Amino acid sequence: VSSQVAGEGWDVLARAAARAREAREESAVLRELLCVEVGGEPYALPIERVREIVRMRPLTRVPRAPALVLGVISLRGEILQVLDLRRALGAAALPPTRRSRIVVLHGEAGDVAGWLVDAVSEVLRVPEAELLPPPGVAGELVTAICVRGERFVSLLEPDRMQSLVAA
Amino acid sequence: MAGKSRKSARDKAQQEFVSEAEELLERMRDDLSALAEAHAAGRAAAPATVNQLFRSAHTLKGSAGTFGYAQLAELAHHLEDVLDRLRMGRATLDPTGITLLDESVSLATAALEKLGGAEADESLSETIALLVGRIAAYEARPVPPPEVTLAALAALAVPEGLLRALTEYEESRLRSSIAQGRGLHVIEVELELSSFEEGLGELTRAIHEVGELISTLPSPGAASDSRIRFVLLAASELGATELAARLELDPAAVRVAHRPVAAAHAESGGEGLPQQREPRAAEGEAASLRSLSGTVRVDIKKLDELMNRVGELARERAALHALVVRLTADRSTARIGLELDKIQRGLERRVQALQADVLDVRMVPLRQVFDKLTRVVRRLKLDLGKDVRLELRGAETELDKLIVEQLVDPLMHLVRNAFDHAIESAEERSRAGKRPEGLIQVEATQRGHDVALAVRDDGRGIDADAVRARAVEKGLIAADASLTKKETLELLFLPGFSTRSTVSETSGRGVGLDVVRANVAALGGLVALESTPGQGTLVSLTLPITLAIIQALLVGAADERFAIPLGGVRETLAVSPSDVQRSAGRELLNLRGEALPVLRLAEEFGLSASPRDQKQYAVVLGMGDARIALLVDRLEGQQDAVIKPVLGPLRTLRGVAGATELGTQQAVLVLDVSALIEDGGRRREARA
Repeated sequence: VSSQVAGEGWDVLARAAARAREAREESAVLRELLCVEVGGEPYALPIERVREIVRMRPLTRVPRAPALVLGVISLRGEILQVLDLRRALGAAALPPTRRSRIVVLHGEAGDVAGWLVDAVSEVLRVPEAELLPPPGVAGELVTAICVRGERFVSLLEPDRMQSLVAA
Repeated sequence: MAGKSRKSARDKAQQEFVSEAEELLERMRDDLSALAEAHAAGRAAAPATVNQLFRSAHTLKGSAGTFGYAQLAELAHHLEDVLDRLRMGRATLDPTGITLLDESVSLATAALEKLGGAEADESLSETIALLVGRIAAYEARPVPPPEVTLAALAALAVPEGLLRALTEYEESRLRSSIAQGRGLHVIEVELELSSFEEGLGELTRAIHEVGELISTLPSPGAASDSRIRFVLLAASELGATELAARLELDPAAVRVAHRPVAAAHAESGGEGLPQQREPRAAEGEAASLRSLSGTVRVDIKKLDELMNRVGELARERAALHALVVRLTADRSTARIGLELDKIQRGLERRVQALQADVLDVRMVPLRQVFDKLTRVVRRLKLDLGKDVRLELRGAETELDKLIVEQLVDPLMHLVRNAFDHAIESAEERSRAGKRPEGLIQVEATQRGHDVALAVRDDGRGIDADAVRARAVEKGLIAADASLTKKETLELLFLPGFSTRSTVSETSGRGVGLDVVRANVAALGGLVALESTPGQGTLVSLTLPITLAIIQALLVGAADERFAIPLGGVRETLAVSPSDVQRSAGRELLNLRGEALPVLRLAEEFGLSASPRDQKQYAVVLGMGDARIALLVDRLEGQQDAVIKPVLGPLRTLRGVAGATELGTQQAVLVLDVSALIEDGGRRREARA
């Protein structure tokens, strides 16, 4: 009899352990997002695509380039194009401020580009399940939205952003 | 980037494998070229070369297997099989064999490049599988029985037991020597036990100068315990007495085992005189041993990093100089300032020397590109059945490793073009009174800080009228446009322009001269084309020796600064507004009686235009005979500049070849001289 009880006890323990593991795995599917501010609105970028964040530095204008291309910067020996995220999202152009940052993103194929944002605010950890499909009106750059407190944060897709210029 | 610190042991091992394999494949390519050359000249393959190829394939098979690259190992295994038969004399070399070997090595190289990538490339796997199938079919073909029978071997006057001691390879060399009518000699020597390796080495080298050493066997019967006796079996066309004299041996030490068959046979045997071939093989072997022990392979990225460090050092030095200026300006600190200045100057010299040294390390000869061209032409000859000779000169010319790599595509393109489009069929050539064999020459020469590359063919030349007609048809120029011949040929460089409506297998998408020009411009180089109908075409490329540093002229237009590679600048001069005249709606600068088309940089680039009454400067840009005057607001001196690619989604920046950074951490765009000259010419056309 005692062995049977022991068996049941083990069963109960095993089931509890499995549940705990499942819960952990579920919570492990977190997306890490870099929150940036553009035109007074919060946007998010997948952190695995962010190579680095740098302060504003002297821009060299590129003649005959589309208006989206603000210019090029020199970053530790690399010359990078810097693009205007405000313009890409349809916000009015504004001169950079002290809070402005250049977020260097790399595409799937390893290509890089700097994007000028008004400010970098935080890194969010959002469970995959909380990323919702964007409402029909969202711009084509937005792949998902999530609710943070009272605000909607729009998740941007770097490859689509870059293709704005290449097209 | 992030990956560097996370480099695992596995990555490192893979990198070591890749670099070893690269070295092996490189040597195999060299050996294959030698093999193909010998075959083309009607000579048999040098046994040392075939043997080395076999050993390389064998090593490649081994290490690919160890690292778990099964397909590469399989490919190497088949290569090894083919080469083994060849070296054992069980097969002879034919064009199909050379092509298969060539393709295998190219494919193995491609597979190796893919190893860095994350996932397996399926199409590559398929290609390898196909090639392996072809090799298997090739190997299954009937092979002629050995020409020299066992009985003939038994009849040789060699010491008893020697034949049994030979390896299979040595035996095959023995048979082949007899078949070729060379004489065989048994050489017996006795050497001091303490130093026999040296003595044997010397003897081996000496024998290779006059023939081939087939086998070396230790033998009993030495005069004392401190000595050792060897029996050597050598093939040579020399007689025994002469051989002994050449080897500085007692005549009694050399015995004839088999007499050479006289001259007539040597000719039909076709292996050529050993004196011409073997020393080269022996030297090559010695050289490759030396280079193995005396060189290291370095990732080019490390050299880039080193170059950046030197650049940083130069900037620190500039900061020090600024401090010197401040100190010396003040009477109370002037003395310290002067002392510091002395140190600063010493530092400057050393930084410059360091920069020169780092640049020097990056230099590699053009040979590797030339070898690729040789293979391409060999392949084309087989595929297209055209008889074309490729002449290469200046393979020893050195260029920055990165430039050499970037040159492969444009040069291959030009050579393929010449082969496919320019060189006529044999009949057509005979009708035109030319030699039936076409000629393509590629010549490299160093001129100061530049390397000039000329790709010349003696083909049909380019029909300027046809080019013109096509340009009109494509709407690129007006039907009544007046163009010089030179300007007409320039049209060939416009994107998408092709004088042939059909796209051929060989040259791919059209003629693609625009691609060639874009590639070369990205390297800070220039392309020019000359052609005489019926006589041929010359494409000249001018390239800086190093990408890392070019001499640049800094100019200012409106609020912006730009760098112009000095290689494209003919002269600079101050111009007053009255020097620029309008004629037939275009602006021209009168330069010592010659009218140059004018391009105003500020206007061209849509910058705030400078007032027309202001004094300006003309930078005369030249490429071949084409010249334009680029008007700028300021000349800001010359500087060494490192041209870098502009990274980002915007792929083409018309008129911009790249960018550089000038101490101030601000990027400065480097202008693309060829594109500007083209624009200048076109502007003229549009307004005409």
